[in-house]
Amino acid sequence: MNSELLEMMPIKSDGDIVRIRRRTRDLSKAQGFKLADVTRVVTAASELARNIYHYAQEGTVHCYALTEGRRKGIKLVFEDKGPGIEDIELVMEEGYSTGNSMGLGLPGAKRLVDKITIESEMGNGTKVEIIKWM
Amino acid sequence: MDEQIALLNIKDILVVIVPSDPHDETITMLQEDVLEALQKNASNGVILDISTVEIMDSFFARTLMETSMMIKLMGGVTVIAGMQPSVAITTIELGLNFGDIVTVLDVDSSLEYLKDLL
Amino acid sequence: MEVTIEEWNQRKVFANFTQDDVEALVGIKDKIRQKAEDVIDQLYVHMLEYPNLQEILYDESIILRLKGMQKRYFEQLFEGEYGEDYLENRLNIGRVHHRIGLEPSWYMGTYSHYIELIVPIIFETLNDTQEIQKTVLALIKIINLDQELAITTYLSAREEVIKEQSEEIMEISVPIIQVWEGIIAAPIIGTLDTSRTQLLMEKLLEGVVETKTRIVLLDITGVPSIDTATAQHIIDTINAVKLLGSEVVITGVSPAIAQTLVHLGIDLSGITTRSALAQGLKVALNKLNLELKAGQNG
Repeated sequence: MNSELLEMMPIKSDGDIVRIRRRTRDLSKAQGFKLADVTRVVTAASELARNIYHYAQEGTVHCYALTEGRRKGIKLVFEDKGPGIEDIELVMEEGYSTGNSMGLGLPGAKRLVDKITIESEMGNGTKVEIIKWM
Repeated sequence: MDEQIALLNIKDILVVIVPSDPHDETITMLQEDVLEALQKNASNGVILDISTVEIMDSFFARTLMETSMMIKLMGGVTVIAGMQPSVAITTIELGLNFGDIVTVLDVDSSLEYLKDLL
Repeated sequence: MEVTIEEWNQRKVFANFTQDDVEALVGIKDKIRQKAEDVIDQLYVHMLEYPNLQEILYDESIILRLKGMQKRYFEQLFEGEYGEDYLENRLNIGRVHHRIGLEPSWYMGTYSHYIELIVPIIFETLNDTQEIQKTVLALIKIINLDQELAITTYLSAREEVIKEQSEEIMEISVPIIQVWEGIIAAPIIGTLDTSRTQLLMEKLLEGVVETKTRIVLLDITGVPSIDTATAQHIIDTINAVKLLGSEVVITGVSPAIAQTLVHLGIDLSGITTRSALAQGLKVALNKLNLELKAGQNG
């Protein structure tokens, strides 16, 4: 699988979240995703970027164009040095059912993309990777 | 920037033109502005026109839902108008529910609905 | 590109096509240049003997264009450059062939002809048996690599056609029909998997917005069986339509499906359901009538 870095964006402010939405929209459109999927990717990106801004205050997102054979896709990697998630499984499940603010981001994003990988260590930050294929 | 929240009064109905891709701050401000306008104009109905909104994440959706609950507490009725198809799809996929809030196709239908109701 | 530059490099390594081979081929470049025109003409005389090819090569301009391409192809074999440009050029040959309807079975013949016409030239030009052997082997390797490329592009082009056709079939399988002002019917035929549900949702929502529909009749007469996943897909679709301000009536609930829904404990309360499309239409018309009357009374 080929992975080409398209752009890196900081998450440090309210404005950054908006910029990430707009750039993600441009980049996924450029990759060739149809409107409904562009909307999904952008919405998922917005959720994850906001998570970082609210809980870690600072982080980054890297956007990659993926190619596997003739398949094209997009990958977004969100990283922060925030408090971390204690129980990833619980968050994925609980947030979804209670609909509270923190929780909705991750399970929501999961439903919008094809693959989501979460790495987190208490006190040492979190890394969330999402992939959507065309 | 096009972060303008336009508020129009049509008799006792407040029409809110929601900007297409607002900052979180703007979304929060929208809530305050709407409630204040509601009180000032003694409106009975509020139409939230989201026809230009292309992306709605959970924060945006939840704020709109909260706003509607607050409007209800202040004695008003909320109608959400003009949701775009792709927004409807992602809202459902995000697992968000607009609950009791009335959602309609466009502002015309909203006015009709409120006219009948109020 | 159907074949990336990395893949191409890998293929060359796998075929043991090395710098030595490159040099061997470049070694007879000049002689080849002299004979190029001749070789191509002989090639075409041979090709025009086949009735199938005669059909495709009916036009003078097509023949000229192909000859031009063949000459370019032929010369490039010995130029010593086997990188990205070479790759792109070879891939293009396959694409063009597919476009004009020339099939791979023909290619194989041509490559053999090339070898037949070039090997004598090698023997003419070189004296050393080692040299001759090296050069003939180099030629065979590069011709094989070229054949692989031409086939890859041809197959890719075919797959594209198949993909487009299956997409078309998918599109047709989710028809949206306007049966009355403000009412559309969406008969679902076949099983609902995730991608079809998405397609249905998108088409339905766009249809609702475009036609300002108030009521959607989602007909599942053509759905043979229903499982929890399918039911969830249908419920998601209904919720999405509701967000746009329209209502959904499910019609075509067969006894079998009714039983399955209850046994699976799927809650469809809040959604009007009927066993036949006609009944659903009646419900819809009633609802619209009531709205009309209410409007008139103001």
